[in-house]
Amino acid sequence: MDHARIVFGLVALAAALALPYYAGPFWTGLATQMLIFGLLALSVDLLLGHAGLFSLTHASFFAVSAYTVAILQVRYGVSTALAAPAGICAGTLLALVFGLAVRTRGVYFILITIAFGFVVWGVAHRWSSFTGGDNGVTNVPFPALGGLAVTSHTQYYYLVLAAVVACGLGYRVLIRSPFGLGLRGIKASESRMRSLGFRTGLHLYAAFVLSGALASFAGVLYVYYNKFVNPVAASFPISVEAALMAIIGGTGTIIGPFIGSGIVLGLRNWVSSFFELHLAVMGAVFIAAVLWAPDGLVGLAGRLRARMERAKEAGRP
Amino acid sequence: MAQHDAARSFACGAAALLAATGLAFSGAALAQGGPIKIGLLAPVTGPLATPGKDMVEGWKLYWEKVGYTAGGRKVEVVVADTTCNPDQALTQARRLVHQEKVHFMVGPLCGHEGPAVAQVSKETGVPLVMDPAGADTVTKWERTPTVVRTAVSASQIGHPWGEYMYKELGLRNVTFIGQDYTWGHEVTLGAVRTFTALGGKVAKIIWNPIGTKDYGPTIAAIPADTDGVSAVVVGADRVRLFEAWFNFGMDKKKKIYGGYWLHQDVLPQMDERAVGLIGNSLNYAAGIQTPENVEFTTAFAKAYKRLPSWFGESAYAVGLWTKTAIDSIGGKVEDRDAFLKAMRSVSIKAPRGPLKLDAYDNPIQNVYISRIQKVKHPVLGEVMTNVPIKTFEGVSQFWNIPPEEFLKKGPYKR
Repeated sequence: MDHARIVFGLVALAAALALPYYAGPFWTGLATQMLIFGLLALSVDLLLGHAGLFSLTHASFFAVSAYTVAILQVRYGVSTALAAPAGICAGTLLALVFGLAVRTRGVYFILITIAFGFVVWGVAHRWSSFTGGDNGVTNVPFPALGGLAVTSHTQYYYLVLAAVVACGLGYRVLIRSPFGLGLRGIKASESRMRSLGFRTGLHLYAAFVLSGALASFAGVLYVYYNKFVNPVAASFPISVEAALMAIIGGTGTIIGPFIGSGIVLGLRNWVSSFFELHLAVMGAVFIAAVLWAPDGLVGLAGRLRARMERAKEAGRP
Repeated sequence: MAQHDAARSFACGAAALLAATGLAFSGAALAQGGPIKIGLLAPVTGPLATPGKDMVEGWKLYWEKVGYTAGGRKVEVVVADTTCNPDQALTQARRLVHQEKVHFMVGPLCGHEGPAVAQVSKETGVPLVMDPAGADTVTKWERTPTVVRTAVSASQIGHPWGEYMYKELGLRNVTFIGQDYTWGHEVTLGAVRTFTALGGKVAKIIWNPIGTKDYGPTIAAIPADTDGVSAVVVGADRVRLFEAWFNFGMDKKKKIYGGYWLHQDVLPQMDERAVGLIGNSLNYAAGIQTPENVEFTTAFAKAYKRLPSWFGESAYAVGLWTKTAIDSIGGKVEDRDAFLKAMRSVSIKAPRGPLKLDAYDNPIQNVYISRIQKVKHPVLGEVMTNVPIKTFEGVSQFWNIPPEEFLKKGPYKR
């Protein structure tokens, strides 16, 4: 069982490594985008899948860090070595503030995070002397660290792939740690965790900040891929899509958000090239996911496997 | 410049391999003599799907008319849906360049998609004919060598509007209603600049975000002593402002004029009350009575049972413009520099009048102040349309201000 999973992981990794050689630059670029948005969805899922908090403000951290990097690099000529960490710090600082939302639960948490998201979008949109308004900040260069510089989209793809794999492994450690188990406990029953002596509020706050930091990192990867950032990055639909990606792929898993991101971006960018009603296709996929795969595709796969194993056992004399 | 950097970087290891695979895939497509491939980036779906439709149809109308040929070669068009989202526009532009191997791109429509697509043109060297995205900065402060604009620069239509209000409408104390985003800022503040330069006074500027549901507060905020109201509104807000204006009985108290308001695409949603209003100060009005425009609007009406908005005309004109350029270089679009040079040097007679690029890659063109009138159309019967009442000929994006001085002052910001 575990053996099969390792084999699957290695095959997937090999396919990802070889992608630029068989798929060409468009698919490589799209795959980069899928990985970046998958990472954003993964950050949302830390709250959604593990702590049971539905956040709709993650585009804020994503955009704040992207804007920080873009403005520092383009306007002040700051190097990547400083700009990228500054971006993550800026997003994380914002998460420290927005994290106060964990004082609320359920629908109130959703509402307050929506409001936070709109504040950031509004600032990006309206403070045009600083953020460039609708036009955003353009001409962001590829990242360069001293003599090491990314010079093509293929190289950047490998950088993103490496970053995402590293994040995935770190994330795995995190969710298996006592901290991650604590989160799951809170999701299952917060009152019970509290009666066991856990400071659940603090626990959730820490998860929120960590999740914001991860979203900020995705923002840094995004701005170097896109080469520009504008208020759309901070907009409500980005937050919603990130959550939908996690849900379609499967919440509470690591691979799920990436599968979801692949499906959403793939549908939009590939299906739209030959089918005008691509938004209807996307809608149908969402409805199908809610009806038949409420645990996402990963959950669906798990269910099918369990059924097959049951059938095998039943067939045994 | 960018191309040289790119070329140098291609020399490094991994990129060379990539180039080899790329060549294997594209060898046949790049051979000259095959069809010319043009990528059209338009918001086929999303919030601006209506103008996007006009754009695609105007573009197709032109190429159908000339049988999809230019410079002795067949022309193939690949339409990519940008959904009015810059991320999507960027990915689609990359698809057009890498996957479809287009020779050049046309579009996008939404202002904020412009810089995104220009980015792709910059990194790949594939020319972009920007139409109709209108962000001022593209042909002023942040120009890209491989990008030319064939439609309009936002403030280009605002400048004549300010002068018209002062000189012809005799207004002295105007309230400006502006849509709160880059295009709205640039059109509105362009008009404010020329209006105040003549001595006009701004009573108030009221900004409304796109998608403002209720124009009541806006109307209530109009100062009592103002002698005219200028409206720059887009999308569904155009109808909301129109309805609110009449519902509040403002038509009996004040005069409202559209700087950028009642385009052709919204007129079917309007009734008699619109007749007689000055609807637009724009580089196109469907009611222009030149042979070129009559031919165009008749063909458009026959094909699609409606009159074109400026998005439709702009796409049609860019078809004519690119074909003229391709013809002038004998179809050799593989030579990107020659193609761009041709785009920059040819002049055309579009339905909206004569067009030519200035030294900053933005067209010099007429701006029409138009009034809504009911006319008898040979194809559509009785129909409301914008009829020009004043033509500013050969308007530059810098108006009458020397370009250097204009550039020094920086972009219009609210």
